[in-house]
Amino acid sequence: MTGLYALLVGVAMGVLIQRVRASSPGVIAQNLRLENISIIKFMATTIAVGMVLVYLLNLAVPMHFDIKPTYVVGVLVGGLVFGVGFGIGGYCPGTCVVGLGEGRKDAIWAVLGGVVGALVFTLVYATIIAPMNTLMDLGKITLADVLHLPAVVVALVLGAIFAVVITLLPTNFTSKKAF
Amino acid sequence: MAFSTTQALPVVSTGSTPIPPWAKFGILFGLVSAASILLWGPIGVSGTYPRFVGAVLRVVSPAYASANPYLVKMGSLLKPETYLVVGLLIGGFLAALLNREQKPALEMVHSGEKSSGARYRDAFIGGVLIVFGARIAGGCTSGHIISGITQLSVSGMIFGAGVFATGIGTAKLLKKGGN
Repeated sequence: MTGLYALLVGVAMGVLIQRVRASSPGVIAQNLRLENISIIKFMATTIAVGMVLVYLLNLAVPMHFDIKPTYVVGVLVGGLVFGVGFGIGGYCPGTCVVGLGEGRKDAIWAVLGGVVGALVFTLVYATIIAPMNTLMDLGKITLADVLHLPAVVVALVLGAIFAVVITLLPTNFTSKKAF
Repeated sequence: MAFSTTQALPVVSTGSTPIPPWAKFGILFGLVSAASILLWGPIGVSGTYPRFVGAVLRVVSPAYASANPYLVKMGSLLKPETYLVVGLLIGGFLAALLNREQKPALEMVHSGEKSSGARYRDAFIGGVLIVFGARIAGGCTSGHIISGITQLSVSGMIFGAGVFATGIGTAKLLKKGGN
């Protein structure tokens, strides 16, 4: 049953990613050059809606939370490496799969690159990565733990801050007055 | 309708603008991501790449696969995330089909991409780096940024900061492409 749920969630994600044009490397590059931040706003909207919903739902039903550990050095280094790849290719590990589905010719190269990246990772994991990821390991912490506040309160406040910033910030930063 | 011959219809309505696509799809994506945490767990994509590598190596080189600590740690492809990635492929295909879109043209993303070969190269290099970086950090855009920050995890916020720091820097450095 879990497999079916995951498949359906994946299909829904794939449709939404394609429709919002997050699977277009050109659109991603526009966002990262801060010319048009439609996808950044899309992601922020997703996160704001999600955080309010999951922590409100959590008051009534058990949720399947799974917090990833904060090993500060490894998480930051990984993010910095990811960002370079994101900037060069214009794809992330999920959007290139969506791009492949909609028939983008370069998407298969990003997927193949991802497989090679994963293979190289398995080769260096034990010697380089595992030791690095023990540095500054703070465990599975949330912002609510840091602030010593109930998670639902933090989610509502942060969700509201996201909503205000998303609404006030322009989407298009180029001189052309398109959408 | 009486004025339609004398008065041109505005291309962009300046009054009450309809909800922009990024907001509409962002709200829907937030619902999907919350549903995922309700049903089985947060969404995630990048872990499927090393699991796929592991599945191939268990056939090609079983000795290496069983001795590699990372491949052992990640386990088999029989995980919800694998179905999710299959769903992304189907979702991308369905969205393009139902929207009656032409097969997307190859987008030249950076000024340095003068040929389709250069775009494939950049997609490949990007693919290597995003999955390598994501595996260092333990998640990618979906696992760390979307579902991580949705759950208020500190790791997702650190990863997101790293991704946009180098992502924006790299994209700005490489400049705009041909189309």
